[in-house]
Parts: sequence; C-alpha cells; structure tokens
Amino acid sequence: MDSGINLSCFTTCYAIALVLELPGRWSQFRYRRAVCLLAASAGVLAHTWYLGHRVSEMPMAPLASHHDWSLLAAWLLAVIYVGGLFYYPRSSLGAFLLPAVLALIGVSWFAATKPIVSFEAPRVWGLVHGVLLLLGTVAVLLGFLAGLMYLLQSYRLKHKTSGGSRLRLPSLEWLERVNSRSLGAAAMLVGGGFITGVLSRLALENERGLLPWTDPVVLSLTAMLCWLVVAEVFRLVYPAARQGRKVAYLTIAAFVFLLLVFASITWSDTLHSSDAEVAVRATKPSIADTAAPKFGGSA
Amino acid sequence: MNLQMVGCTHHEANLDVRQLLAFDPQEIAVALQAWQSRFPQSELVLLSTCNRVELYAASSNPSGGPAAPDLVEALLTFRNVPKTQLEGHLTTFEGREAVEHLFRVTSSLESMVIGEPQILAQVKQAYQQACDVGSTGPQLHDVFQSALRTAKRVAGETSLHQHRVSIPSVAIADLASCVFESFNDKHVLVLGAGEMAEETLRFLQSDGNPHVHVVNRSLERGQKLAESFNGEFHPWEKLWDQLVLSDLVISTTAANEPIVSADDFVEHVEPRRHQRPLFLLDLAVPRDFSPEVGDLLGVYLYSLDDLTEACQRNQSARAAEMPAAEKIVDQETARFLSESSHRATAPVISGFRRGMHEPKQAELERLFNKLPELDENSREEIEQFADRLVNKMLHPPLESLRHASQNGTHHGLLDALKRLFKLED
Repeated sequence: MDSGINLSCFTTCYAIALVLELPGRWSQFRYRRAVCLLAASAGVLAHTWYLGHRVSEMPMAPLASHHDWSLLAAWLLAVIYVGGLFYYPRSSLGAFLLPAVLALIGVSWFAATKPIVSFEAPRVWGLVHGVLLLLGTVAVLLGFLAGLMYLLQSYRLKHKTSGGSRLRLPSLEWLERVNSRSLGAAAMLVGGGFITGVLSRLALENERGLLPWTDPVVLSLTAMLCWLVVAEVFRLVYPAARQGRKVAYLTIAAFVFLLLVFASITWSDTLHSSDAEVAVRATKPSIADTAAPKFGGSA
Repeated sequence: MNLQMVGCTHHEANLDVRQLLAFDPQEIAVALQAWQSRFPQSELVLLSTCNRVELYAASSNPSGGPAAPDLVEALLTFRNVPKTQLEGHLTTFEGREAVEHLFRVTSSLESMVIGEPQILAQVKQAYQQACDVGSTGPQLHDVFQSALRTAKRVAGETSLHQHRVSIPSVAIADLASCVFESFNDKHVLVLGAGEMAEETLRFLQSDGNPHVHVVNRSLERGQKLAESFNGEFHPWEKLWDQLVLSDLVISTTAANEPIVSADDFVEHVEPRRHQRPLFLLDLAVPRDFSPEVGDLLGVYLYSLDDLTEACQRNQSARAAEMPAAEKIVDQETARFLSESSHRATAPVISGFRRGMHEPKQAELERLFNKLPELDENSREEIEQFADRLVNKMLHPPLESLRHASQNGTHHGLLDALKRLFKLED
C-alpha cells in the first residue's frame, strides 16, 4: 500500500509551525496560534501514519532500526509540543521543541533503516530495552530544552529584557520543575534500559561470549548513566542543586553525554550496528528487504 | 441621523474643571429625566467618568433636536456652573465627527492611558442607565451598538489592550509571572506600608492567593496593612528571617538609604536560601536594596526606574497599534453612516419607486385591454419598454439621493421628493 505520506510531509508541517513560532515577521501573523496548531497536528497525524505504516510492513519497526528509533523519538517530542500548545498557549515552546523534532527527523534521514542487531536478543528484553532507552532519550532531550529555556529566561530577567521580547517563555518555576523531573525520569529510564540491555546480552551469552564492555556504545551509555545517577543524587542531597540554574546545568551536561552516545552509535557501534553481515544473521531477509526508503521515500 | 456631543475631556480640561461637571449615577438619572422633558424629540445619553463628561443627543428629525449651545446650557444649568468658568474647556461634535468621537472613546483611543479596558464598561453602563431612564431610542441604540462593535474589533484585531502600562500590573503580570507559575502559596514580603505596596498587593491577590507578610518599623501601620490583606505582621528585627522565607518582596519604605546591601544579603540571607529564586520589587525612592543585590545568584531585582521603563516600552507598543485601531474606527464610522443613511432613505426610495410603477402597471393593463389582438411576444416587448422607461426616469433622482446620503446632505432632497411626489414615510 502506497499511502503517499513520506518524511517530507511531516517535516514540512513541523517546519511551518517552527517558522510561526520563531520571533520575526510571521510571529505577528494574526492567526499564528491557530495555524501553528493546525500545522503541528497535521504533522503529528502524518508522522503517526508513517510510523503505523512501517509497523504494518515490519512489526518491530518503531524500534527496529536507527531510522525508526529516531523518528519515534521525534514523534514523542512532537506530541509533547502539541500538548504544550494547549497547556501553555501563549508561550514559544515550539521555538525550542521543534528544532529538536526536526533534528531527530534529520538524523533519521541519514540513519540506517536495517534492523538493529540487538533484536536478535529475546524479543521481550529487546523491546523493553529499546522502549526504556527511547523514553530516557526523550527525557534527557526535554530536560536539556527546559534547561536552555531556564537559562535564557533567567538571563532575560536579570538583564531586564524580558518585557519587549516576542519570544515568550514559561516561568522559571515551571521550567525548573520540568528540568528536575526530566533528570529523575532520565536516570531511571536510562538505568532500566541499560540493565535490560545487559540482560538481553546475557541471554545470548552462551552463543557469543562475554559482555562487550569496551564497545563505544556501552561505554558512552554507561558514562551517561553514571552522570545521570550522580546528578540525581547530587540534586537530592545538595539543596542548592534542587533549584535554579544548577539543575539546568546538570540536564545540559546530560545532553552532552547523550550526544556522545549518538556519536558512538553512528560511527563506531559494533553492538547495535546495521552491518549487513550481522544484520542478515540477526534478522529474517524478508524484514530487511522491507526497510523504508531513506530521504523522501514513500512508505 | 443627527447626533451631537457636548462635554469636556482630559484633553481640554484639568481635573479641577472636570470635577465641576462630574455626575454620580443618581445625578445622571435625574439629569436625563430633566433634559428629556426639555428636549422631548431627542434621545439622550450622559457619559461621566473621571476623565470625561459627555452628553450625547440624537434625533431622527434634523430640525427636531436641540442645538449644541442649548445642550451646553442644559449641562451647565444642571451643575450650576457659570459658563465663564468652562470657557475654552468644552468640546462639541456634530454628525460624523460625533459618531467617530464616540467610537474612539469606546475603543479607548481617547483615554488618558490608551487601551485601558475600563472605558468600555463605562460606556456600556452609561448607555444602560439611559435605557433604564427611558431617554434612549432607536437612533442612539444604533450608534451605541456600533460603538461597542467597534471597540470589540479594536480589542480583537489589534494588540492595543495587551500591553500593560501600570507599575503594579507590569511588575506582577509581566515580570513576576516570568518567575512564578502561580502566586498561590507563595510568600510575599512587604517592607514598609506605602501606597504602591498596597496597590501591588491588590493586583497580586486578584491573580492568586499568596501568604502576605509585612515587616514595618511602625507597628500600627504595619499591622493595619497586614490585616487588610489577611497577612501576618513581623517586627523589623525579623527582616532577615523573612527575606529567607519569602519568594517575592515588595519594598516601599521611606528610608533615606538602602536598608539591604549586597554584603548584608550575602551574610544573612543568601546561605539560608540555597539559591531559591527571589523576586525583588524595590518601589522605594531612594532604593531600599542596593543594586549589587540584583547581581547575586537567584535574585531578580527590579527598581522603580526599571518598572517605569517597562511601562513606557509598553506604552510605545500601544502607540504603535494606533494606526491599525484608527483604521478600524474609520471603517466602522463609514459603515455606520452608510447604514444610517440607508435606513433613512429606504422608505422614501421604495415609496418613490412604487409611485412610478403603480401608474405604469395601470396604463399597461388599460393598453392591453384596448388591444386584445396583441400576441404574447408583443406584450412582453411593451412591458419591457415601460420598465426601461420608468427605470431611466428613476435613475437620476435616486443617484442624486444616494450621493447626498453618502455626504450626509440627503435631508433636503428627501423632503423635496416627499413633497413633489406626495410620498409618506
């Protein structure tokens, strides 16, 4: 079935919403809020359709490849943005969330569509591992964006420039809450994802030997997990780290670790790679054959 | 429609002069009844606010309403004010100017603080009061409904009303709300018992339910202020403890020098706050907090100068919306006048048409009775000829009437048509 919906459809929708969210000529457009909501909703709808279509072709699709995984993370952020339009209608959340959505879609354009090797692990462990890490990534991203907004809002209040700006940000109190909750949630989710990853490898232990602790992905993920746990403990133990800019700095640092994980997956992952030889061994040929076309491809 | 306005506004008269003419609601009712019996053919509405006293009078008959000097005289007589005292302070508008003025007033383009929302409610109230007294009618109903529609358009299609311009509203709604999600359960500390603190607290309480704490050197004044806002009074010695506890501070003491220096803050407050955000509104002149306090982590300090600057910025933003608002007022004024003249001329025009078409129809019937041999096609041709002839004869006078009604000079022509063709309203 060719639905005609491809990556360009929802990318365009999100891009329109972003242009309207950014301060500038279009921000004064009278029906800006309504068009923004319409564009973002249309984007989410097309995005959902695309992911649904991928699942119908390949049941493991939403988490099976780096392409799908990035798209699913982008979808979650887009849904959060549409929710934010109702919860915080007058703020410019989209100016921060939508670039992240577009960046993740951009990553998916260049990411492999072949299934990730780790899916050779028992299905339930692989699924839980993938879901937890996906949610952990979204939590880290949200915390990072809330941290950026916090620092910008705080700077504007300190320098008395918040009044005249067209970029309306949520209150420091709300951003701080999102920030600290994201950090706590990210620590738990990434921890859970890490443990299930280890367990899924242990299930294959007989076949493949020892756990690959020196693998760059495992190393960077371990580093991120350590940072998240330390940051969360620091936040709970040290009162000054529970509020203000310190939480923002902690979540921004967590994002740096996330970038490291992404980089190691992209450039030097042996464990999660979509290397043809491994992929063929790990998955059925029919599934690999149905992988979605990349840039602009029809689902 | 013949609309007149006489009165005085803050543009031409200072408060002392305006007070001479000001009416309270009871007086308005009495005055309207008195003027109604004096000008029985007129509809009347009196708008009296702290910035303006305006009497609107309308009559469907161009020669039936009172002249502007009569209205001025009625106004002054009722308030018992000699004309000399108000010389140069009174304004009069007539016709289009009066309509446009009312639309501008209702849309808050003539207010002292442009875009303030109270004037709309005041105009509604003035009109409602006139309705209750029975001094209004269809003429003023139309013009006031159009004024309210204009104000609604200006509010909806421009951001004239969106920029706050008073110190308390800017401090709380524009700035403190950037720090706090809600003011419920926040600890608000008031230092001193100044009037500005009271106004700010009032605004704050309309937006949430904070815990109010008052620290003041004078026990009596401090307790009074705390009681009026269901707050707690604390002696001056508790200043540091209260600064540690509070989320928002409003400071309005009359001290001659800062009461909190950066060193004091670092020594007594900062270590115990654990960098919890603190929003400081220093509304005192001279300052109560030294400016260096604002550089400390988690402290957002706004002085009166900062707030005044923010208010001015918002006023400029409102001024930038004025051309768009004025365009709406122009459009609505033109629309109202066009509809108004259409309403005035429509019965005459339809009577005029009827007066020409009825004889045409009678003559056609007589002709067809005389010439029964005419076939269907010939009859149709003759009917079309008669229609064209009548329409061509009607066109020039109706066109002249249309032009005159657009300029508001249609009354003479209407009168002439009525008399020439014996038309009735």
